[in-house]
Amino acid sequence: MVSTPIKVDIWSDVQCPWCYIGKRKFEAGAAEFAAQGGGEVEVEYHSFELSPDTPVEYEGTPVQYLSERKGMPVDQVEQMLERVTGIAKDVGLDYDYDHVHQTNTVISHELIHFAKSKGRQLEMKERLLKAYFINGEHVGRIPDLVAIAVELGYDEAEVTEALESHRFLKDVKADVALAQEYGIQGVPFFVIDGKYGVSGAQEAAAFANVLAQVASERDAS
Amino acid sequence: MDAATKPLLIVGLPDAAACEGDFCEIPEHHEQAVVNRRLDEDLV
Repeated sequence: MVSTPIKVDIWSDVQCPWCYIGKRKFEAGAAEFAAQGGGEVEVEYHSFELSPDTPVEYEGTPVQYLSERKGMPVDQVEQMLERVTGIAKDVGLDYDYDHVHQTNTVISHELIHFAKSKGRQLEMKERLLKAYFINGEHVGRIPDLVAIAVELGYDEAEVTEALESHRFLKDVKADVALAQEYGIQGVPFFVIDGKYGVSGAQEAAAFANVLAQVASERDAS
Repeated sequence: MDAATKPLLIVGLPDAAACEGDFCEIPEHHEQAVVNRRLDEDLV
Protein backbone atom coordinates (compact mmCIF):
# COMPACT_ATOMS: atom_id res chain seq x y z
CA MET A 1 0.00 0.00 0.00
CA VAL A 2 1.38 3.39 -0.99
CA SER A 3 1.23 5.91 1.84
CA THR A 4 1.48 9.13 -0.15
CA PRO A 5 -0.36 9.62 -3.44
CA ILE A 6 1.49 8.95 -6.67
CA LYS A 7 1.80 12.24 -8.52
CA VAL A 8 0.78 12.27 -12.17
CA ASP A 9 1.50 15.39 -14.21
CA ILE A 10 -0.42 15.51 -17.48
CA TRP A 11 0.32 17.82 -20.39
CA SER A 12 -2.75 18.35 -22.52
CA ASP A 13 -4.55 20.83 -24.78
CA VAL A 14 -8.26 21.61 -24.69
CA GLN A 15 -8.68 20.99 -28.43
CA CYS A 16 -6.71 17.73 -28.53
CA PRO A 17 -9.01 14.79 -29.30
CA TRP A 18 -6.56 12.22 -27.97
CA CYS A 19 -6.20 14.17 -24.72
CA TYR A 20 -9.87 13.68 -23.85
CA ILE A 21 -9.79 10.03 -24.93
CA GLY A 22 -6.48 9.59 -23.06
CA LYS A 23 -8.01 11.23 -19.99
CA ARG A 24 -10.75 8.59 -19.92
CA LYS A 25 -8.24 5.79 -20.44
CA PHE A 26 -5.96 7.14 -17.72
CA GLU A 27 -8.92 7.45 -15.33
CA ALA A 28 -9.83 3.83 -16.08
CA GLY A 29 -6.22 2.77 -15.47
CA ALA A 30 -6.05 4.69 -12.19
CA ALA A 31 -9.35 3.10 -11.10
CA GLU A 32 -7.96 -0.34 -11.96
CA PHE A 33 -4.84 0.43 -9.93
CA ALA A 34 -6.94 1.59 -6.96
CA ALA A 35 -9.21 -1.46 -7.20
CA GLN A 36 -6.14 -3.66 -6.84
CA GLY A 37 -5.29 -1.88 -3.60
CA GLY A 38 -2.70 0.31 -5.24
CA GLY A 39 -3.50 3.49 -3.39
CA GLU A 40 -4.17 7.08 -4.31
CA VAL A 41 -3.14 9.04 -7.36
CA GLU A 42 -2.83 12.83 -7.44
CA VAL A 43 -3.33 14.41 -10.86
CA GLU A 44 -2.16 17.83 -11.99
CA TYR A 45 -2.82 19.11 -15.51
CA HIS A 46 -0.35 21.27 -17.39
CA SER A 47 -0.93 23.52 -20.37
CA PHE A 48 0.21 22.60 -23.85
CA GLU A 49 -0.67 24.67 -26.91
CA LEU A 50 -0.84 22.51 -30.01
CA SER A 51 -1.54 25.39 -32.34
CA PRO A 52 -0.74 28.73 -30.68
CA ASP A 53 -1.00 30.64 -33.95
CA THR A 54 -4.69 29.79 -34.48
CA PRO A 55 -6.82 32.95 -34.32
CA VAL A 56 -9.49 33.13 -31.62
CA GLU A 57 -12.09 33.97 -34.22
CA TYR A 58 -11.35 31.28 -36.79
CA GLU A 59 -14.46 31.18 -38.95
CA GLY A 60 -14.11 27.77 -40.56
CA THR A 61 -14.80 24.26 -39.37
CA PRO A 62 -12.17 21.84 -38.04
CA VAL A 63 -12.42 20.08 -41.40
CA GLN A 64 -11.59 23.30 -43.27
CA TYR A 65 -8.87 24.14 -40.76
CA LEU A 66 -7.06 20.82 -41.12
CA SER A 67 -7.57 20.75 -44.85
CA GLU A 68 -6.08 24.26 -45.22
CA ARG A 69 -3.23 23.71 -42.77
CA LYS A 70 -2.22 20.26 -43.93
CA GLY A 71 -3.17 20.47 -47.56
CA MET A 72 -5.33 17.38 -47.15
CA PRO A 73 -8.44 16.76 -49.25
CA VAL A 74 -11.65 17.62 -47.38
CA ASP A 75 -13.06 14.09 -47.70
CA GLN A 76 -9.87 12.64 -46.22
CA VAL A 77 -10.09 14.98 -43.22
CA GLU A 78 -13.77 14.13 -42.80
CA GLN A 79 -12.97 10.42 -42.76
CA MET A 80 -10.19 11.03 -40.23
CA LEU A 81 -12.48 12.95 -37.87
CA GLU A 82 -15.17 10.30 -38.31
CA ARG A 83 -12.67 7.68 -37.16
CA VAL A 84 -11.61 9.75 -34.14
CA THR A 85 -15.30 10.24 -33.28
CA GLY A 86 -15.76 6.46 -33.39
CA ILE A 87 -12.79 5.88 -31.08
CA ALA A 88 -14.10 8.55 -28.66
CA LYS A 89 -17.47 6.79 -28.62
CA ASP A 90 -15.71 3.63 -27.47
CA VAL A 91 -14.72 5.44 -24.24
CA GLY A 92 -18.14 7.04 -23.78
CA LEU A 93 -17.46 10.44 -25.36
CA ASP A 94 -19.85 11.81 -28.01
CA TYR A 95 -17.65 14.10 -30.06
CA ASP A 96 -19.65 16.50 -32.23
CA TYR A 97 -17.23 17.82 -34.85
CA ASP A 98 -20.09 19.44 -36.80
CA HIS A 99 -20.36 22.03 -34.02
CA VAL A 100 -16.76 22.34 -32.82
CA HIS A 101 -15.35 25.90 -32.79
CA GLN A 102 -11.71 25.76 -33.84
CA THR A 103 -9.95 28.50 -31.88
CA ASN A 104 -6.89 29.58 -29.92
CA THR A 105 -6.90 27.83 -26.52
CA VAL A 106 -4.47 29.98 -24.55
CA ILE A 107 -7.18 31.77 -22.53
CA SER A 108 -8.89 28.47 -21.74
CA HIS A 109 -5.55 27.36 -20.29
CA GLU A 110 -5.50 30.55 -18.24
CA LEU A 111 -8.95 29.63 -16.94
CA ILE A 112 -7.70 26.17 -15.96
CA HIS A 113 -4.89 27.83 -13.98
CA PHE A 114 -7.42 30.18 -12.39
CA ALA A 115 -9.45 27.13 -11.30
CA LYS A 116 -6.26 25.49 -10.04
CA SER A 117 -5.64 28.53 -7.83
CA LYS A 118 -9.02 27.70 -6.25
CA GLY A 119 -8.20 24.01 -5.88
CA ARG A 120 -10.66 23.03 -8.64
CA GLN A 121 -8.45 22.38 -11.66
CA LEU A 122 -9.71 18.89 -12.58
CA GLU A 123 -13.33 20.00 -12.71
CA MET A 124 -12.49 22.89 -15.07
CA LYS A 125 -10.31 20.73 -17.30
CA GLU A 126 -13.13 18.23 -17.77
CA ARG A 127 -15.69 21.00 -18.34
CA LEU A 128 -13.60 22.69 -21.05
CA LEU A 129 -12.91 19.44 -22.91
CA LYS A 130 -16.63 18.74 -22.83
CA ALA A 131 -17.35 22.31 -23.96
CA TYR A 132 -15.11 21.95 -26.99
CA PHE A 133 -15.74 18.39 -28.17
CA ILE A 134 -19.28 17.64 -27.03
CA ASN A 135 -21.22 20.83 -26.32
CA GLY A 136 -20.04 22.89 -29.29
CA GLU A 137 -19.16 25.81 -27.01
CA HIS A 138 -16.48 28.38 -27.87
CA VAL A 139 -13.41 28.00 -25.64
CA GLY A 140 -11.36 30.87 -27.04
CA ARG A 141 -13.38 33.96 -26.16
CA ILE A 142 -13.35 35.51 -22.68
CA PRO A 143 -17.16 36.02 -22.41
CA ASP A 144 -17.81 32.37 -23.33
CA LEU A 145 -15.20 31.15 -20.85
CA VAL A 146 -16.58 33.42 -18.12
CA ALA A 147 -20.05 31.95 -18.74
CA ILE A 148 -18.66 28.45 -18.22
CA ALA A 149 -16.89 29.54 -15.03
CA VAL A 150 -20.05 31.21 -13.69
CA GLU A 151 -22.00 28.04 -14.43
CA LEU A 152 -19.51 26.23 -12.19
CA GLY A 153 -20.14 28.74 -9.43
CA TYR A 154 -17.22 31.14 -9.80
CA ASP A 155 -17.62 34.87 -9.24
CA GLU A 156 -18.20 36.58 -12.60
CA ALA A 157 -16.25 39.74 -11.80
CA GLU A 158 -13.29 37.84 -10.39
CA VAL A 159 -12.93 35.44 -13.30
CA THR A 160 -13.44 38.24 -15.84
CA GLU A 161 -10.66 40.26 -14.21
CA ALA A 162 -8.36 37.24 -14.13
CA LEU A 163 -8.85 36.49 -17.82
CA GLU A 164 -8.83 40.09 -19.06
CA SER A 165 -5.64 40.88 -17.14
CA HIS A 166 -4.06 37.59 -18.29
CA ARG A 167 -2.94 37.08 -14.69
CA PHE A 168 -2.36 33.37 -15.31
CA LEU A 169 -0.64 33.62 -18.69
CA LYS A 170 2.78 33.27 -17.06
CA ASP A 171 1.67 29.94 -15.56
CA VAL A 172 0.55 28.70 -18.98
CA LYS A 173 3.90 29.66 -20.48
CA ALA A 174 5.77 28.03 -17.58
CA ASP A 175 3.96 24.76 -18.28
CA VAL A 176 4.85 24.98 -21.96
CA ALA A 177 8.48 25.69 -21.09
CA LEU A 178 8.62 22.70 -18.73
CA ALA A 179 7.21 20.50 -21.50
CA GLN A 180 10.03 21.67 -23.74
CA GLU A 181 12.56 20.83 -21.01
CA TYR A 182 11.16 17.31 -20.84
CA GLY A 183 11.31 17.08 -24.63
CA ILE A 184 7.54 16.66 -24.88
CA GLN A 185 6.46 17.16 -28.50
CA GLY A 186 2.99 15.72 -28.48
CA VAL A 187 0.04 15.36 -26.12
CA PRO A 188 -1.39 13.87 -24.06
CA PHE A 189 1.81 13.22 -22.15
CA PHE A 190 1.88 11.77 -18.65
CA VAL A 191 4.76 12.08 -16.17
CA ILE A 192 4.30 9.53 -13.42
CA ASP A 193 5.99 10.23 -10.08
CA GLY A 194 8.44 12.56 -11.85
CA LYS A 195 10.17 9.49 -13.24
CA TYR A 196 8.22 7.68 -15.94
CA GLY A 197 6.98 9.28 -19.16
CA VAL A 198 3.94 7.91 -20.97
CA SER A 199 3.08 9.38 -24.36
CA GLY A 200 -0.34 9.33 -25.97
CA ALA A 201 -3.73 7.82 -25.31
CA GLN A 202 -2.47 4.46 -24.09
CA GLU A 203 -4.79 1.67 -23.03
CA ALA A 204 -5.96 1.74 -19.40
CA ALA A 205 -3.82 -1.30 -18.56
CA ALA A 206 -0.66 0.57 -19.55
CA PHE A 207 -1.43 3.30 -17.02
CA ALA A 208 -2.36 0.75 -14.35
CA ASN A 209 0.91 -1.08 -14.98
CA VAL A 210 3.14 1.96 -14.59
CA LEU A 211 1.29 3.04 -11.45
CA ALA A 212 1.78 -0.47 -10.04
CA GLN A 213 5.47 -0.29 -10.97
CA VAL A 214 5.87 2.96 -9.04
CA ALA A 215 3.99 1.53 -6.05
CA SER A 216 6.19 -1.59 -5.96
CA GLU A 217 9.34 0.53 -6.20
CA ARG A 218 8.11 2.59 -3.24
CA ASP A 219 7.36 -0.54 -1.26
CA ALA A 220 10.83 -1.90 -1.98
CA SER A 221 12.64 1.28 -0.92
CA MET B 1 9.85 19.26 -10.89
CA ASP B 2 13.22 19.67 -12.49
CA ALA B 3 13.09 18.22 -15.98
CA ALA B 4 16.68 19.07 -16.85
CA THR B 5 18.15 16.98 -14.05
CA LYS B 6 15.60 14.16 -14.09
CA PRO B 7 15.28 12.57 -17.53
CA LEU B 8 12.20 10.40 -17.92
CA LEU B 9 12.04 6.67 -18.50
CA ILE B 10 9.59 6.32 -21.38
CA VAL B 11 7.17 3.43 -20.97
CA GLY B 12 4.03 2.19 -22.76
CA LEU B 13 3.37 1.59 -26.44
CA PRO B 14 5.50 3.83 -28.63
CA ASP B 15 2.75 4.29 -31.24
CA ALA B 16 -0.09 5.36 -28.94
CA ALA B 17 -2.34 8.05 -30.39
CA ALA B 18 -1.18 11.60 -29.76
CA CYS B 19 -1.46 15.09 -31.24
CA GLU B 20 1.62 16.91 -32.41
CA GLY B 21 1.34 20.44 -33.70
CA ASP B 22 -2.11 20.82 -35.21
CA PHE B 23 -2.25 17.25 -36.42
CA CYS B 24 -3.54 14.22 -34.57
CA GLU B 25 -2.50 10.90 -36.01
CA ILE B 26 -4.58 7.75 -35.84
CA PRO B 27 -2.30 4.75 -35.26
CA GLU B 28 -2.96 1.57 -37.21
CA HIS B 29 -4.15 -0.47 -34.22
CA HIS B 30 -6.90 2.10 -33.63
CA GLU B 31 -7.94 1.90 -37.29
CA GLN B 32 -8.32 -1.85 -36.93
CA ALA B 33 -10.27 -1.45 -33.69
CA VAL B 34 -12.74 0.84 -35.45
CA VAL B 35 -13.17 -1.61 -38.32
CA ASN B 36 -13.72 -4.43 -35.81
CA ARG B 37 -16.34 -2.39 -33.96
CA ARG B 38 -18.16 -1.63 -37.18
CA LEU B 39 -18.11 -5.29 -38.11
CA ASP B 40 -19.62 -6.04 -34.70
CA GLU B 41 -22.31 -3.47 -35.37
CA ASP B 42 -22.88 -4.87 -38.89
CA LEU B 43 -21.97 -1.52 -40.41
CA VAL B 44 -19.36 -2.94 -42.78
